[in-house]
This record gives sequence, structure tokens and C-alpha cells, in this order.
Amino acid sequence: MLHQHMKKAITDNPKKLANLIDLVNLPSTVREFVGQSQISRLGCFKCVWSYIKTNNLQDSNNKNLVNCDEKLKSIMLGKPQIDLAELPALIKMHFPKEPK
Amino acid sequence: MGKIPPSFRSAIGNPNLRNPSSLFRLETPSPSKPSKKPRPQKPPKQAPPPPLFKSPNLEDAKSLFDSIAAATSSDPRLPNSLLHSYAAPPLLLPRPLHLPHPPLPLLPLPLPLPLPLPHPPNPKPHALRRPPPDAATADIAVRALCSASRLDHAVELLQELASKHCPPDTYTFNHLVKHLCKSRSLSSVYAFIDEMRDKFAVKPDLVTYTILIDNVCNSKNLREATRLVSVLHREGFKPDCFLYNTIMKGYCALSRGGEAVEVYNKMKEEGVEPDLVTYNTLIFGLSKSGRVAEARKLLRVMAEKGYFPDEVTYTSLMNGMCRKGDALAALALLGEMEAKGCRPNECTYNTLLHGLCKARLLEKAMEFYGVIREGGMMLDMASYATFVRALCRDGRVAEAYEVFDYAVDSKSLTDVAAYSTLESTLKWLRKAKEQGLALSTQIADLPQEHGVCFLLSAIKDVKVSCKA
Repeated sequence: MLHQHMKKAITDNPKKLANLIDLVNLPSTVREFVGQSQISRLGCFKCVWSYIKTNNLQDSNNKNLVNCDEKLKSIMLGKPQIDLAELPALIKMHFPKEPK
Repeated sequence: MGKIPPSFRSAIGNPNLRNPSSLFRLETPSPSKPSKKPRPQKPPKQAPPPPLFKSPNLEDAKSLFDSIAAATSSDPRLPNSLLHSYAAPPLLLPRPLHLPHPPLPLLPLPLPLPLPLPHPPNPKPHALRRPPPDAATADIAVRALCSASRLDHAVELLQELASKHCPPDTYTFNHLVKHLCKSRSLSSVYAFIDEMRDKFAVKPDLVTYTILIDNVCNSKNLREATRLVSVLHREGFKPDCFLYNTIMKGYCALSRGGEAVEVYNKMKEEGVEPDLVTYNTLIFGLSKSGRVAEARKLLRVMAEKGYFPDEVTYTSLMNGMCRKGDALAALALLGEMEAKGCRPNECTYNTLLHGLCKARLLEKAMEFYGVIREGGMMLDMASYATFVRALCRDGRVAEAYEVFDYAVDSKSLTDVAAYSTLESTLKWLRKAKEQGLALSTQIADLPQEHGVCFLLSAIKDVKVSCKA
């Protein structure tokens, strides 16, 4: 039930929406990964997720895990392996809230 | 005699008139446009090569029109068909159309639509033995303006034409009212209707009232709907099947199945024969307010009356069953439906997917997701969100990602909607795992072995976090 609220809230809330789709200047590590100097959080997620798919980085035994290659590791806090469930949170770390 | 050029035909079947909702068909004024009226004979010269007006090349049409206009008598259809061509979709993006002057004045309307609509360039036409604009002209122009969302212009134009030439017919009027209802306040719509009645003696008819009632029902203002019904009685109209359906739909949308049944009974008292839409509405309403058993009975009643339940009927009923958490009954109904030769549609599958996820029958849900994928069907927001959540909860995050991909690729949802759902679900999952306590209450109402699995994985997580 809680979920129903959340799902509505995000697309209706302009601030949260902006947070998701506004272009942001990237720190150098991420810039190298995506090959652009600016990207939105959503764009970054799609970029990383398609990178994982095209390079076949999902663990063959457990698809929920991703074995990072060097390039991916550089933007995932240097972790050798990540869980898909934590991917959005890890990406969010590169998009800090702007101080008011 | 040449056949009717396609441009005339499309004036008949104007797509704007179609109502997209198949679940509840609000009656649309039957689009019998003026073009259907028996026409005077066409001068033979007038039959241009059929594809002409449909081609984007309006210059051709115009020059042909010129030559015809020069030679032929005053047939009011001629300017109208040219007008209709201009009004065809490409123009709706205000593409600058510069028409050289000669042919223009004979268009009674400023149709190339210079932006601020000036007064329609006034009937020089008469002087040039040009036909005056008639109801068909008004209809085409008003529809074009409506679909370009230029309602102020449409209103202005309609009133101008009504005062100078002829009153609009009811189809045009109702079409405009329908569009006004969508974007204007109710009071301004009433003001428009009053003005039309006072100045031009255009009276609202039953269809107008149905449009108004539908509109107030959609905004959940049933008191106003009741008032409108009494006004309608006072004006001497007898509600027809469409009107009753509309009122019922209003009650159903608010999950007030009881009142919907009352409307149905009243309808029978008044001797109005219910149709398929009535039954579908009623079954939908009853299902929505949790009275599935009654809805189920209606299925038999309608069959007795000779209406065969269609996919909408079955889907509503399945929806009701799923709401009650009885997804297995919904599955059984699917079997019954297919046995009767009724093909389930996208909405049916979405309903089932949603219901099965809620009832925690994930394997079955996967099966239906497979069917949806195979058929290239769309996922709706509710079933997508529930499905993703069910998968995540079951620890199948990779599959949830795959569903995310499908939702985006099939254009079922915008990537923003799909991603924010996925993200918030994963966040919720993490929180749920962190709060082992909150979990145990959830597990209490988890049925079957899923609860145990969940409990185990939760315990494991707690252990891990203790170690850390």
C-alpha cells in the first residue's frame, strides 16, 4: 500500500522528477565512463545498465550479481562485485543533492 | 457521375468523433455529417482525380479548384472540400501556408489561419457568385479548430457564422461542447450554451445533456449530474440508454455499485432496453465495489437477453475477483472465456498479471508475462509496478530489470515512470530488509511457503548485518 503512494509521488513531484532527468556536470570518473560531460541520473542508469548487458557482466550463476570489469569498478566504489538491487543507490551517489 | 472524392468521405468519418474508450462507449453524435445529406447533382467537371486532396500538395488542389471555380456554378461543397483539405492534420501544426490571394476570398473562412483570427474575410463571395458558407463549412472549420485546440477561435467562428449565415447544426454544436467540457470550467460551458440558446436559438438536445452529464460524472460531481438529469426531464427529454449508461458509469467510477443497480432498475421501469454497454458498466461497477457474486449473476441475465459477454465483460469480472484476492477464480474465468471463443485482450492479461502478483502466484504471473511479451502487448502502470515489486520481493532482481527493459522498449511506460518505480521498489526492498521487525508483521499475512522463504532470507540478512 505504501508503494502506491510512492509510485504516484515521484512522477507527480516536479522536484523529484527534475532530480531524475536534469543534466548534471559529472565528476571525472563518471565522465570517462559515459563519454559525456553531462548526463541525467536516469541517463546514467540506462548507460550503466546497457554497459552491463552488452559486456555480459552478470554472473552466470546468479543473474542478480554483476562482476565488475575495471571500467565499471571505477564508478562503483571499486567494488569487484555488485548486486543489481543496489545499482540505483550506487549511481545516485554520483549525483549528490545540490546544497541550497 | 464520378464517385465521391475521398476528401468528402473523410468529412463523414471524422476521427475526432470517435470515442477512444472501448470500455464505456459514450454515445457520440452519430457522425452523419452534412455530406450525407442528399446532395444536388454534381457538375461532372467537379470530379477531380480522387487522390488529389489527400496529397500533401495543396497547391495542386488549389489551382484545380481555381479552374473549376472559374467554370462551374455555385456548389457549396466546393469551398468546403478545399477547406477540409486545409484542415487535414498537417495544417494543425501551424505550418505557414501562404496562399496567393485569388482563391482565398472565396473561402468564406480565414482558413490558412493567420494567427490571431481576424474576422472572417467577409463575404465577397456573394458578389462573385460564390456560395455562402453553410452548416457543413461551419462543421469542418469548427472540428479543425477543435482538434488544433483553438477553442476560442472555434467559438468565435461558430457565433460569427451563426449570426451572419446559418445556425450550426446540432452535431457541430455538440462537438464543440464536448471539447469545451474537456478544457474549460463548467460555468463557462454553461455560459456558452446559454448564449447559443438566447442568441441563435440553438437548443441543447439529449446528446448535449449526455455530454454534460458525462463530463460532471468524470469529475466526480454527481450532485451536478443529478441536477442535470432533472433539468433534462423539465425540458421534456426522455433519457435514453446512452444517458443511463453514462450516469451508471459515474456511480461505478466512485465504486457505488448500489446506486448503479438502482439506475439499472429505474431504466427497466422506464422501459428502456439495456444494451451491452449497460451490462458491461454494471458488471464493472459491481466488481469494483466488491459485489462479484452479483456481477457473476448478471452474466447469465445478459446472455438470456441475447447479449454475449465480450472481453470487456470478462475482464471487469476478473478485475473484481482479483480485487477480492481470488486470482484462481479469475484464472478459471479465463478458461471459461476462451472456451466460449472470446479472445482475451491486453487489458485482460494485465488484470490477471496484477491479480496473480497480488495473490503471490508468481510463477503463474510469469507465464502471463510471457504471453504479454510474445504478443508484443503493453504493460500498464499498475501491473508493471506490482509485478516488479513481486519479483524483487522474491529476490529475482535481474528479472525485474528485464521487465523494466520490456516496459521501456515496448513503450508501455515512459522511462521516467518505469525507472522511478524500479528504483523506489529497490529502495523499499532494502528498507524492508533492514527492518526485520517490520517484516515479521508482513510475514504474518503471507500465505503459504513464500512467507517461510522470506522469513529465512530476512533472518539471513539480519545475521549478516549483525556480523558487519
